[in-house]
Amino acid sequence: MADSIVKVDDLHKSYSGREVVKGISFEVKRGETFGILGPNGAGKTTTLEMIETLRPIDKGTVTVSGVNVSKDPQKVKYMIGVQTQSTAFMDKVRLTELLEQQAAAYGERIDPLELLKEVNLEEKSTSYIENLSGGQKQRFSIAAALVHKPKVFFLDEPTTGLDPQARRRLWDLIKSVKRQGMTVILTTHYMEEAEELCQRVAIMDEGQIVALDTPEKLIRQLLKRGFKKERKVEQANLEDVFLDLTGKVLGT
Amino acid sequence: MGKVLLIVVIVLVVFRILSKRTPLLACLFKRQKQAKVNTSAPKHRQLFTVLTFAKVSIRRYFRDRVAIFFTIAFPLIFLLVFGLTGKNNDVTFHIGLINQSHSRFSQKFVEQIRSSKTYRIDDSVKNLSQANLKMGRSEIDATLVLPPGFGQTNKQGLPAGKAVIYYDENSAQAAQTLQSVLQGKFESINAGLVKTPAPFGVVAKSTNTKGLTRLDYTVSGLIGFSIIGLGIFGPVNYFPQMKKEGVLRRLHITPLRVWQFFISSVLSNAVIGLISIAIMIAVASAFMNFTIVGNYFELAVLLVFGILTIFGIGLAIGGWAKNENQAAPLANIIVFPMLFLSGTFFPRFSMPEWLQYVTAFLPLTPIIDGIRMIATEGKHLTEIGPQLGLIAIWAVIIYAIAFRVFRWE
Repeated sequence: MADSIVKVDDLHKSYSGREVVKGISFEVKRGETFGILGPNGAGKTTTLEMIETLRPIDKGTVTVSGVNVSKDPQKVKYMIGVQTQSTAFMDKVRLTELLEQQAAAYGERIDPLELLKEVNLEEKSTSYIENLSGGQKQRFSIAAALVHKPKVFFLDEPTTGLDPQARRRLWDLIKSVKRQGMTVILTTHYMEEAEELCQRVAIMDEGQIVALDTPEKLIRQLLKRGFKKERKVEQANLEDVFLDLTGKVLGT
Repeated sequence: MGKVLLIVVIVLVVFRILSKRTPLLACLFKRQKQAKVNTSAPKHRQLFTVLTFAKVSIRRYFRDRVAIFFTIAFPLIFLLVFGLTGKNNDVTFHIGLINQSHSRFSQKFVEQIRSSKTYRIDDSVKNLSQANLKMGRSEIDATLVLPPGFGQTNKQGLPAGKAVIYYDENSAQAAQTLQSVLQGKFESINAGLVKTPAPFGVVAKSTNTKGLTRLDYTVSGLIGFSIIGLGIFGPVNYFPQMKKEGVLRRLHITPLRVWQFFISSVLSNAVIGLISIAIMIAVASAFMNFTIVGNYFELAVLLVFGILTIFGIGLAIGGWAKNENQAAPLANIIVFPMLFLSGTFFPRFSMPEWLQYVTAFLPLTPIIDGIRMIATEGKHLTEIGPQLGLIAIWAVIIYAIAFRVFRWE
């Protein structure tokens, strides 16, 4: 079994007396794509932000590659890349300049064009961020989060608000990031997204993890409990119809 | 004009160094090829980080037309308006003139007054009631009345008469000055008519030193205004906006330190400020007879200190505020007293003494005074120690607060 790169142990967080994360523990293996699922307000984002050094931890410990997040956040910051929910960047700055600046925050000098090529935005290199579409912005902010080649890559609801094609393209991108050997941790509330991308998922509800396993096993367990879907499942759904008609070739 | 060209060239060179990757900068901050990724930043790269951030924000600034308007064009418009309305440095009296006499002397006297530059005559004033109305609105300073029989020959065979100056309480001072000016005029007429020796007299002689003109005050005040616009209103607007959009949060995720962020912001602000001020000075020199007496380099050094200090106020407010609603009122409370009491628009020497004393300690006051002393009085940095000291004290206080209250989100 692969070793764990992120270890979360008995993590707690309260906001003004209300506990939103109630002692959760999990480990993420090196090189896997790990999903945190759950409805709005389940504590997904708060959990992620504590691992990302952005929020003080009330109780419990988090280590990234053996480094304690509360004790040496600066060191952790060099190892992680984060795709935030907001895709805003400074306006009136070219994409290449934004990437150079982002890399400079890590003290690195990079070739921005090469990175833009990886996310299929090389012809937009002299554009400003405000002139990109939603999907392009998402792809660009992934490029920006990866300027320093982090070990662990966090994505917080990466495809919320995107149309189906843009979502598929983003999935392809996340898969290619994983193929490069990066560990990916993402939150989502789209189940098909988790099924498509994640090797293992944790399902959160009201600040606790209610299930943690591979998607297949979770489904099998559910069926074992005698679950039956009320409606017969079609071989295709409306999204497949849409994708077929608008001519987007599905990603591998 | 030579000096103007010089500053323009210097500014262009500085800007070029910062905007293009010149070989000089590239070799100074070149990344080591074998650098280990993902550990921690070596010391020499921290400077690279700061410079890259400064470079990007300078470029960004000069793509922002609204920002350029408020920091360069806006003070320039002010300057042009002040420069055009205040161009004439001579004393002029704006008066109404009512001639009720028909003598040849009085007609000649009126002609003389009209041709003199000392008086501007409002011809719409035909009688005293019109004159009173205009004086009440301060449209004219006083009204000169030549009564019936003024200038007619008296028993000695000489033209004589008493002119009357009407004024209201608002313009008592102007009227008194006008009276003594006219008195002098009549004395010289008298001397021409009656040959009597005058044992005492007074003669005015110019010292030939260049005093401060109104334009000099205006330019240094407007430089102060520009520093405030750039240093306070700028960050107070865009910091909360960057927080709202999550731009600062993205930086918070990176290992970027607050001090690196601060220094890069100060650096870009200083470059932008120097360029804007150089443009203002160039325009004022080229079109408005404004000259800088002092040393350009010393002026630039003072300006950098001034920009740094005032920008700290903007950093503190913008860095602290979660949104515009918190930032804007606080900025106004701090900026407006400085704007009106530090000598930006109104010279401080015209204030009551106690107010002069209090306002001397505002952060902007030593900056504007210092600019005036170097630019128009030709003093050196070594001679403006008290001003530099006060600026330094404020800088320490302001940045101590700014570091303490800064938040990324």
